[in-house]
Amino acid sequence: MGVLLRLSDVIRHFGGVHAVDGVSLEIEEGAIFGLIGPNGAGKTTLVNLVTGYLRTQSGSVRLGTPAGEVELARRPPHAVAGLGVARTFQTLRLYRNLTAVENVLVGMHPRRPDDTLAQLLPLPPLRRGEQERLEEARGLLRRVGLESERDGPRPAWTLSYGDQRRLEVARALALRPRLLILDEPAAGMNPAEKDRVRELIQQLNAEGLTVLLIDHDMRLVMGVCRQIAVLNFGRKIADGSPVKVSSDPAVIEAYLGKEAEKTAAHVPGSEEIDVQAPARAPAAAEPAAPLLEVKELEVAYGAIQAVRSVSFGVAKGEIVALIGANGAGKSTILNTLSGLLRPRAGTARFDRLDLTTASPDRIVRGGLVQVPEGREILARLTVRENLELGAWVRRDGQVVEREIAELMERFPILGQRRNLPAGQLSGGEQQILAIARGLLARPRLLLLDEPSLGLAPQMVDAVFEVIERIHKEGVTVLLVEQNALRALELADRAYVVETGRILLSGTGSALRRNPEVRKAYLGG
Amino acid sequence: MDFFIQLLTDPIGFYNSHELLVAQMGINAILAISIFVTFYSGQLTLANAGFMAIGAYTTVLLSLYPRWPLPLDMLLGSLLAGGAGVLVGLPVLRLRGVFLAIATIGFVEALLLGVILNVPITGEGQGLKNPTADPLGGIVPILVSIPVLTYLVWRLTRTRLGQAWAAIREDELAASSNGINVPLYKMIAFVIGAILAGYAGALETHINFFVDPTEYGISRTIQILTFAVVGGTSNVLGPIVGAVFLTALPEILRFVRDYRDVINGVILILVIIFRPQGIVGRGGLALIRPRWLHRRGRVRGSPASAL
Repeated sequence: MGVLLRLSDVIRHFGGVHAVDGVSLEIEEGAIFGLIGPNGAGKTTLVNLVTGYLRTQSGSVRLGTPAGEVELARRPPHAVAGLGVARTFQTLRLYRNLTAVENVLVGMHPRRPDDTLAQLLPLPPLRRGEQERLEEARGLLRRVGLESERDGPRPAWTLSYGDQRRLEVARALALRPRLLILDEPAAGMNPAEKDRVRELIQQLNAEGLTVLLIDHDMRLVMGVCRQIAVLNFGRKIADGSPVKVSSDPAVIEAYLGKEAEKTAAHVPGSEEIDVQAPARAPAAAEPAAPLLEVKELEVAYGAIQAVRSVSFGVAKGEIVALIGANGAGKSTILNTLSGLLRPRAGTARFDRLDLTTASPDRIVRGGLVQVPEGREILARLTVRENLELGAWVRRDGQVVEREIAELMERFPILGQRRNLPAGQLSGGEQQILAIARGLLARPRLLLLDEPSLGLAPQMVDAVFEVIERIHKEGVTVLLVEQNALRALELADRAYVVETGRILLSGTGSALRRNPEVRKAYLGG
Repeated sequence: MDFFIQLLTDPIGFYNSHELLVAQMGINAILAISIFVTFYSGQLTLANAGFMAIGAYTTVLLSLYPRWPLPLDMLLGSLLAGGAGVLVGLPVLRLRGVFLAIATIGFVEALLLGVILNVPITGEGQGLKNPTADPLGGIVPILVSIPVLTYLVWRLTRTRLGQAWAAIREDELAASSNGINVPLYKMIAFVIGAILAGYAGALETHINFFVDPTEYGISRTIQILTFAVVGGTSNVLGPIVGAVFLTALPEILRFVRDYRDVINGVILILVIIFRPQGIVGRGGLALIRPRWLHRRGRVRGSPASAL
């Protein structure tokens, strides 16, 4: 088999940042090639260079085609796609208001004859082509695990997160690509869903498709790839078989951090987590005088009931976790508490504040502060400006100044980058910025929505350490997490949410040992 | 009220006494189709009045001096507007959203101040007399054009081209990853919009004896925008309904005619507040649309990432 994609000495710098710094690699035809590396290593930049979204500064990107090798560098994205290179995006980029089927139909664009003029008069032979395309699109939806009857006619934004990810793969497949680039296809998925992604990748590969897979999840990458390259700070530090790469000391240090042995156990999705929780007074019972009290909360998006009769409480000084799979309704609960959504029924009280009617800014002033999913930092403002905005509701400017200075000392990552646009921080750094910004609003209760989403294991550790620290300093925390085992390790108490209901509750350590949790969470 | 009573009870009499109004509705409907095409591809362009002026002046000048047959003049007028669309589009289509809107308004102003009010052949702001105009005959091509154009644009939104436009509107970056040549398809939409606006301008000269340069300024462009906003842009029928409604409004509200712009403004604000999706759109005329016309509703709503 020949080489399908050959990168030689590709360079792309952004100002002083060497995002991709002389990377060379070869992807064999028919391979599943893994590209891994810590956050900010330059993986996505490399994908953007290959697919034409960014221009290379030097080096070449050559794609093997039946007609010989073609230089991809300096071709616009649509031309690269036209040559049979399909990709998905790390952050979902679906056509949100188009239906699932329409999303897939758009994916067929470059290989479909341009029959625009003929279609102005819809004659039967053309309709047949239309029908065939429609059938093919439905087939692709089924292919990736969506139900074409039920999901096909729905606007893409109404699908659950995992389904949206799958739809993006279907849209990429519609091109009938020769090379499929998957940029973190399993980000934010639970282990059961990740397994399905892995099966799909393997199936597609068995049919002859070459796949370039970028992901943080070592289990996924190691499981499916025969060939892996590791990036760190824009350079390739290792490549080879999974076994070779995973035993390479440079890789272990770069990717997993210095305390690799401890951290390795925390790789999301790794089977056994066996860290003993520090002995704490078990507080399995509902608190008697909760700071936050939620009763029979019901939330719906139009016809879709997302939260059904959920009741729970958080006492002062606790860390409480809501865990559960994607689409369980966890984020919906948090968004309702912070006043962004209004419940259909039920009550939610924070101290004396009625959260079901108070405006979001009133709720923040009352001391309930949310750090939203996906961090939502203001990318064009500097780190410092982001922090200053966190203190928007406060009137004590001098104290805020001092607290910002303190935060910058406590989190040197932020202090060193205080004058950089926040958008230039890596995912983990942005998460810490988002938490610090939340702290500046002087929360009595901090809501953290998926703080570990899309972070490399090393960064996940750093973020969880930050959470633990602020909790020790007296902030009450309500944590929503995908990474259930990790969250349970930290939490005093936890609730398992499934399809909008609370399935189980108990202390963190008890739930961690509970086989039911595994079942609810792993979906099997 | 008399307006509606006559419309319903005596359509022929209504037509005879409101011919100019009907013609104006038709021209505005074509302008509405023109702005719809660019909206559908996700571009907020406000250059329509400028392209309209190019179509109008070209048509009149060609029928005054070389005395070519009118259909040929109108064709050349529309095509010249399209050609101007290419020239204007090359630099401004790199812009997006409100910046594109501002740049296209700049084009309208530059055309008006720089060319139309300055060049002897266009009458230097005095306007042009058009003795060949035929108010009664001129209405026929307008009324014929509307269903044809509506059908063509409606079909267009369902072809490969229309699909690419929808994809670009939703997410340009993703569209290019699907192999869609984004700059090209944006340009096609822009030029089709320009040709349609030029055609509307050409038709208008045919029913007026006078080409008035003040007709083609920013207020005209904003008026065309209100057709789309009031009617809704989820469907080609939206802007057309908006155009017909807003053109008829001064007639319906004859007693407050002096406050026409005020009323327009109030209606615009009310629509934006209460029906951001326009008259035609989710829950509006869409409800009574016959089934065979049914296409997906462009539902807007809260982000569903939490679901």
